[in-house]
Amino acid sequence: MAGNFWHSSHYQQWILEKQDLIHQRQADLEILTEDEYPKLMIFFSNLIQQLGETLKLRQQVIATATVFMKRFYARNSLKCIDPLLLAPTSVFLASKVEEFGVISNSRLISTCQTVIKNKFGYAYSQEFPFRMNHVLECEFYLLESMDCCLIVYQPYRPLVQYMQDLGAESEVLQLGWKIVNDSLRTDACLLFAPYEIALACMHMACVVYQKDCKQWFAELNCDLDRIMEITKYILNLYELWKSYDERKEIASILQKIPKPSTQPPQPGSR
Amino acid sequence: MQKYEKLEKIGEGTYGTVFKAKNRETQEIVALKRVRLDDDDEGVPSSALREICLLKELKHKNIVRLHDVLHSERKLTLVFEHCDQDLKKYFDSLNGEIDPDIVKAFMFQLLRGLEFCHSKNVLHRDLKPQNLLINKNGELKLADFGLARAFGIPVRCYSAEVVTLWYRPPDVLFGAKIYNTSIDMWSAGCIFAELANAGRPLFPGSDVDDQLKRIFKLLGTPTEETWPSMSALPDYKPFPPYQPTMTLAQVCPKLNSKGRDLLQVKCIFRCFLHLLNIFKVKRILLLR
Repeated sequence: MAGNFWHSSHYQQWILEKQDLIHQRQADLEILTEDEYPKLMIFFSNLIQQLGETLKLRQQVIATATVFMKRFYARNSLKCIDPLLLAPTSVFLASKVEEFGVISNSRLISTCQTVIKNKFGYAYSQEFPFRMNHVLECEFYLLESMDCCLIVYQPYRPLVQYMQDLGAESEVLQLGWKIVNDSLRTDACLLFAPYEIALACMHMACVVYQKDCKQWFAELNCDLDRIMEITKYILNLYELWKSYDERKEIASILQKIPKPSTQPPQPGSR
Repeated sequence: MQKYEKLEKIGEGTYGTVFKAKNRETQEIVALKRVRLDDDDEGVPSSALREICLLKELKHKNIVRLHDVLHSERKLTLVFEHCDQDLKKYFDSLNGEIDPDIVKAFMFQLLRGLEFCHSKNVLHRDLKPQNLLINKNGELKLADFGLARAFGIPVRCYSAEVVTLWYRPPDVLFGAKIYNTSIDMWSAGCIFAELANAGRPLFPGSDVDDQLKRIFKLLGTPTEETWPSMSALPDYKPFPPYQPTMTLAQVCPKLNSKGRDLLQVKCIFRCFLHLLNIFKVKRILLLR
């Protein structure tokens, strides 16, 4: 669906206002601190990344899954659905949407069990508690919360194009690509267009490699303030990472997540 | 679901039952497509997901509109705009006669809808008269995007098991797994001929072999010169060297009979011929 971003549901329905995000999160932020909430989102983005890599998915599928999860929690409290269930559900749905095929029932659940046990043992002392019927039910709520907007544009393709246009070396592109991956752990993908995120990541990569891009950016017809704002989001993330040891802290933050009631969750059902 | 009153069953879609229904508030008539959730582990079927996510992005007067998606218990219901019939049923009502103006109007709308899909990088992949809906105002709309997919994203192999046999291009019949917009254009060309002949299908093959034979008998069997990569296709098998014996004008006589109309229609025909050129058959310029 390249090239039609301006007519897409992504642009029309899923570029959100910052105020709107803050408002939606208010309930969760009464329980979690301003720092803990992003730490959770980082943790579950990492979980999606790990699940995706173990399932040998393309980065595009992993990125889409991450955006699905973020869209859900942009509309719902953490207590509606345990992110430990929503993360694999997002992966399951994204794989179908991105035409990567259906991940089989047993493979998805066993991957969740292995990844939680081997990679995230510091966060969970118990086994992965969900089964496929939970995932299938959760898929419904995820679809509904996103208003069935499933086509997600990612910054990767514009990033590659811009880098080519600038004539950037491959290490600059590689770094830009990594920064795009990192940007998925911020709110940027909910607030900005993918091409803006690509520009911000490209700019950061150029600064690191001291690649001159002043002229190139000067000729752009886009709002540089927004690009700087994205840069701030990503720098904040790096700042957070520096001062934070996930392995030590995350278990206690996870404890604080308000738990769903035993009734099936009904986020905004019609 | 209270919002809609079910009126009657319309048919069985790729992945569920379709009902005609009325919106209780607005009295609007809609088509409800109930998505069957099979017991296997697929969850929401990929075909339903494709339809939902592509139609969410494709809003055009020649593409059936998805009004809403309803969730209830473990069921998913897609709410579509309702059209009175499909092109197949329309053909059945014709008795072998069709007004050339109607041919032109339908073909124009089919191509306009298709152009829109292709401009959004979406292949329909299953064009056939049953998937073209027609309403009272003579508007034609592309429907059933259950096999459609977005292209342009780095291409993996597509399934060769798409598109109803009669409207399937020869490369796909030979098992080609990488294809592009030409798959839909071939189907559109077949539908054009069928329209012009008031519902007589152009290549009504009974199986893959018969399908290819019918195509080659009309257009001539391609050779290594006219289609060099042909024998490399996965399911390639040699066919007798048929020579084209009929002109397309003979195949679609009605198209020729109305001179002035023909001029209008010809650009579409040229487009069909262009497609045949993809298939590198060069001796069929027999329109006049």
